[in-house]
Amino acid sequence: MMRKIKASSAQAMLPIDRFARWVLIAVTAFSILLLIGPSLIVIAISFEPRAYIAFPPSGFSTRWYQAVFANQQLLDSILVSVRISLAVMAICLLIGVPAAFASIRGTFRGRAALNAFLLSPQMMPGMVIAIASLFFGAYIAFRASDLMLILSLSVFCLPFVVRIVMARLADLDPLLDEASANLGAGKLETFVRVTLPQLAPAICAASAFTFIEAFDNVTVSLFTSDVRARPLPVELYYLVQFDSSPIIAAISSLEIGLSFVVMLIIAKAVGLERLGR
Amino acid sequence: MTDAVLAQPTRLSLARRVIDGGGLWPAVPALVYLVLFMVLPIVTLLTFGFVTIDRGAITDGGFTLTHIAGVLGDPLVWNLTWRSFWIAVVSTCLTLVLAYPIAYAYGHLKGVWRTLLLVAIISPLLTSALVRTYAWIVILGGRRGLLNQTLLSLGVIDQPLQILNTSTAVVMGMTQIHLPFMILPLLAVLSERDRRFEEASLNLGASQVETFFRVTIPMSMPAIVAGFALVFAVSYTNFIIPQLLGGGNYSTLAVQVYEQTIVVLDWSRGAALATLLLTTCFAFVLAIVSVGGRLTRWSEVRR
Repeated sequence: MMRKIKASSAQAMLPIDRFARWVLIAVTAFSILLLIGPSLIVIAISFEPRAYIAFPPSGFSTRWYQAVFANQQLLDSILVSVRISLAVMAICLLIGVPAAFASIRGTFRGRAALNAFLLSPQMMPGMVIAIASLFFGAYIAFRASDLMLILSLSVFCLPFVVRIVMARLADLDPLLDEASANLGAGKLETFVRVTLPQLAPAICAASAFTFIEAFDNVTVSLFTSDVRARPLPVELYYLVQFDSSPIIAAISSLEIGLSFVVMLIIAKAVGLERLGR
Repeated sequence: MTDAVLAQPTRLSLARRVIDGGGLWPAVPALVYLVLFMVLPIVTLLTFGFVTIDRGAITDGGFTLTHIAGVLGDPLVWNLTWRSFWIAVVSTCLTLVLAYPIAYAYGHLKGVWRTLLLVAIISPLLTSALVRTYAWIVILGGRRGLLNQTLLSLGVIDQPLQILNTSTAVVMGMTQIHLPFMILPLLAVLSERDRRFEEASLNLGASQVETFFRVTIPMSMPAIVAGFALVFAVSYTNFIIPQLLGGGNYSTLAVQVYEQTIVVLDWSRGAALATLLLTTCFAFVLAIVSVGGRLTRWSEVRR
């Protein structure tokens, strides 16, 4: 159909192209609004002075933020979550960074299979990992607890560390390590003084990413967390169902703030574009 | 790259080679960890559907097909599977339609606009899904809901719409929450694509629309398939969004798994349902990937 207008130069805009451009701009604008709009609305209603949700808020007050910090149950759950996320971060770094090494620097057969296996938790629905951990724990007489939550969340978070560190390792020049070895440094010294400093940004970004993923994860937490010491996502899950005051908006806004801190760390360390790969 | 290093005449003894860079050993802790805390649990999950469990203890160790048969013979389960499937398909298609223009626009943006768009894409990814589901409750909820307030005050409607607690709400929530998962694979492909094919198409007289549909989209097919499979899988197995946006009486296969396991505590049935969820999810993803593979081949022939 369009072939008829072959004579026109490629640069000139055809009517259909002009129309398509507007459609493209409209859909893009709508998608961007959809991406960030809901979060902005939550932040706005968190400043509501009254006891119920309204948008735009009827005034400005930090009443619900004060309510968050006066609520011992919430503070306890935040503490539980921070503790658990730090533990998950430690486990994932301890086993994930060396694993990324083997994945990139390895010369053994089956390296592709190793990669696939290390990243496989990503393919696994979070719910399946959670329920499987719960059942396996029960089988070996081990109850849902902080430890079980840490162990199952680490399975879920391991691929993030492996992927981010792998991407950085692939960019490094192995000849630098070789040079260090030729200059007489031992294997350990080379690792600590040559490789590790180059990996530091990736490890930093991976830590931040793992922390927020563990901190926010509700699926795994609902199955494997301790019923007496609920982490924040579980606490919030019940609050959302049974409470309608803007206090949830206040906690949510704090979480959105935390996600921005994490984003800044990642942007500074490795650049946001890395995350897309 | 690593081969070149190894090829250098540094004669390594076998012992040194074992502790040297090229070995499997640095991955051993992670491998052991995944076997212990992922593989064994999943094997347990798959076997739990075939034995009788009571309060977390296997009461009857014998192999039984009662629970699997009970699940497969239940018409309700099939209805819920069907619903899970449709909700996932519709919301995945919507994410694709919404994600593609964003990823496409990203490739055409420069400087600070590009960075801002990236922030808009990444920030929801780092924000708790629960927080974002809550946002939808605020937007869609009852008479006080944002959407109803706006539409009522604009005079578009005179009765508040009932969206919360319906499939529509679930689909809307899922689409928005999983949008970044679709954008990221597309972004990687579309921002690094070779523009020369598109320029060639334009120079040969095709319109930009034609070029878009016959060059750009076919070339990004692998990323579309990857994003589609990922978003389908997370939508199909999500139980938080249907529970919170679908209301108390709304159920899907994934919600059933959660309720049987955590609320009803019928672990045999929970395990049987989880097995069904996992296998059907796997089958659907395989189907998506194989259809996608065929589409990609088709485009290569045409190109």
